Amino acid sequence: MSDPITQESTALMAHLLRRAGFGATRDELEGYLAQGYEAVVEALLYPSDPQNMPDDVIRRYHPEQSELRDLTSSGAYWMYRMITTRSPSEEKIALFWHGLLATGYSKLNQARSQLNQVEMFRRSGLGSFRDLLLELSRDPAMLVWLDNNDNHNGAINENFGRELLELFSMGIGNYTEEDVKEGSRAFTGWTLGNAEYMAIRAYKDSIWPYSRIAWHFQYREQDHDNGEKTFLGETGNFNGEDIIDIIVKQEATARFLATRLFQFFAADEVTEEGKKTIAQMMQTYFDSNYEIRAVMRTLFNSAYFKSEEARYARVKGPVELIVGAMRLAGSYQSPTLGIEKVTNQSFFMGQGLLQPPTVEGWHEGSEWIDSGALVERVNFVAKEMGNTDRPGVRSIIDRLSASNGGTLTPDELVDRCLDLVGPITVSEATRSTLVGFAERQGELDLMNHQPGDEAEQRVGNMLRLVASSREFQLA
Amino acid sequence: MVSQAGAKTIQISYLKTIGIVNNGLNGRGYTSPYDLAVHKDGRIFVLNRCDPPRSAAIRVGICNLDEDYLGEFGYGYGQGDGQMVWPVALAFDSKNRVFITDEQNQRISIFDESGKFVEKWGTPGTAPGELNGPAGIAFDKDDNVYIVDQHNNRVQKFTSDGNYLLGWGGAGSGPGQFNLPWGLAVDSNGDVYVADWRNDRIQKFSGDGRFLASFGEPGQGEGQFHRPSGVAVDADGYIYVADWGNERVQVLGPDGGFQVLLHGEATISKWAADYFASNPEEKEVRDISDLTPELPDHLSSPYHVSSQTEPYFWGPVSVSLDGEGRLYVTETNRHRFQVYQKR
Repeated sequence: MSDPITQESTALMAHLLRRAGFGATRDELEGYLAQGYEAVVEALLYPSDPQNMPDDVIRRYHPEQSELRDLTSSGAYWMYRMITTRSPSEEKIALFWHGLLATGYSKLNQARSQLNQVEMFRRSGLGSFRDLLLELSRDPAMLVWLDNNDNHNGAINENFGRELLELFSMGIGNYTEEDVKEGSRAFTGWTLGNAEYMAIRAYKDSIWPYSRIAWHFQYREQDHDNGEKTFLGETGNFNGEDIIDIIVKQEATARFLATRLFQFFAADEVTEEGKKTIAQMMQTYFDSNYEIRAVMRTLFNSAYFKSEEARYARVKGPVELIVGAMRLAGSYQSPTLGIEKVTNQSFFMGQGLLQPPTVEGWHEGSEWIDSGALVERVNFVAKEMGNTDRPGVRSIIDRLSASNGGTLTPDELVDRCLDLVGPITVSEATRSTLVGFAERQGELDLMNHQPGDEAEQRVGNMLRLVASSREFQLA
Repeated sequence: MVSQAGAKTIQISYLKTIGIVNNGLNGRGYTSPYDLAVHKDGRIFVLNRCDPPRSAAIRVGICNLDEDYLGEFGYGYGQGDGQMVWPVALAFDSKNRVFITDEQNQRISIFDESGKFVEKWGTPGTAPGELNGPAGIAFDKDDNVYIVDQHNNRVQKFTSDGNYLLGWGGAGSGPGQFNLPWGLAVDSNGDVYVADWRNDRIQKFSGDGRFLASFGEPGQGEGQFHRPSGVAVDADGYIYVADWGNERVQVLGPDGGFQVLLHGEATISKWAADYFASNPEEKEVRDISDLTPELPDHLSSPYHVSSQTEPYFWGPVSVSLDGEGRLYVTETNRHRFQVYQKR
């Protein structure tokens, strides 16, 4: 059932789309409002055909994004997907998992396999958490990142076994060192094809003779420790699947997953109200047999998520900020020279795609903002939104010119721009500054506007300022 | 590979692999090779498109079949004379001049065989004679040049000094229409073959643009294509197709019937052997590796298989022929070309 189009319903839908996606243009918002909030939540949790820029088109014009030899080209490939997808929740959930189940290029030198991992996040990122952890444990990029190719029967390497518990499921304090060792024994023999050759190529960053060779999982039965193990109080001849079965039924796992989803999709800081929502999400986790989709449904439909308290309660990560601005501006919808520079911008702001700084991923929230990153962030979005050649900006101009006969007072110009880029709600002080700026040139007449003329430039300048506001930097 | 073509038998056998990835700014090896053309004297001119990190090295490299690297030429990345941004294809005219299309600069750059810049022509636009994304290029026996004008979805014919003669096409999937066409060839009769990339077919026309035939349909079977990028026709009328999206090459008979399928069987080139001679620890573990592994279902598309299987074609973007019955398959993603001999 469609929602009545009110200021509040529009603002709530925009809030949902900023969290579950990368924001929405006004045309998109109107389409979502016609479906109604809960129907949109369902649609976001069951991503349909993404209709993103097709791979064959990307590969034809950007052969470097086909070969994926380098980090920048590979990040650019994913950037295209995020900018052009019609199923933004699919990319957003993949981005979430990429930050939580972090795997970095610096050690792997194997972007094709990292992007295969991202594809796995798209494929399994909303399904059963058990299945996701199992796929992760068979993901060659993860196995090399955490040295499981060196985890052998009789000579264990605990790195993967430890992080599986500490960073990917239960969190520190909920297991013993003995559990780490026993869990690691269960994952002996879980490696990648041609492990020895691939390891030396990764270590040397060898592209020779004929560029990268992508990776695939291989289970080496002869290298697996089939002995009895005791893990989290249970005993048996466990293999990796059994370990994951035990992990996912722990309350600590439910708490870990619900909290991390909450912090990425709802609020950087967990308030008392937030804790109640997390408790509901944990209950859903068990009720649904560990289904991530169900846990997110509980979150998005919660009173907390819809409340004012949750609005602007997250700092946009650099990728969210860049992708959101480019989707709003309608940039890079077809193969474009220089897309890799956009990827570099994200890196300069502190979030290089496929290059999380450590196995812990990125430190998010207010840590995204330091003085250098803030300048980069403001400059980027201001440039995108101030460019009246951009299709999305042209669409905003067309909407402005279609109302009131194309004539807008300074107040109207400010309010309409704030509305059309969000809507976003700014402080009264910010609004006064924007109005003051608009008043310098008085009433705006867009009646006979021409591409790039002075009237359009005034809109571009106002959008530039709106994009520079604190609220635009928040989700 | 052996196949019957009516009364004829066509046999195509693998000869060798030439190339190695080049990570530097110039010298031996290739950086995203996009096309090659063989000079009448047998020298092989390889067009390096170069990716953004290495764009300054945009160039043509020259070698011979014995894998001697003979030199290179290029004027760098950009819009100046002799410079290129997104070069696509190259061809020799009867005077051995090298014509290179550039889909970003919207022009044709011409060099003599020593690599000296001679001239450029081309005007961006949609009107007859203007260009929007020049791609495949080939000469007829009268030294007129056919150019695929991809974003205008047409083929245009010019004199070798750039005077417009005629053109045909239009966007669509009907006979004589195109969807982002790419490669192009002219046979000994003067007929024109176009790799109609996003229509998954090869179309054949008379030299003045009359539609004659269409070969192939979407798919992964024999005689089916997925995004064919390049086409070449030999003196006997056999049609060689770079079936780019399927990561393979197909040979069709003169009537368009399927003849031969090639997946690639690359071996160690002379330059690659030099690399392993100085990196024996890599060679040692490579020798115990399975370079044609079984892959899980989620990695079973041709692209993924080729990304994991080094001997197979990966990004087989163009097919070229010489006067000795040899077929050259340029592989962008592997920075090499594989050579086959028709017998």
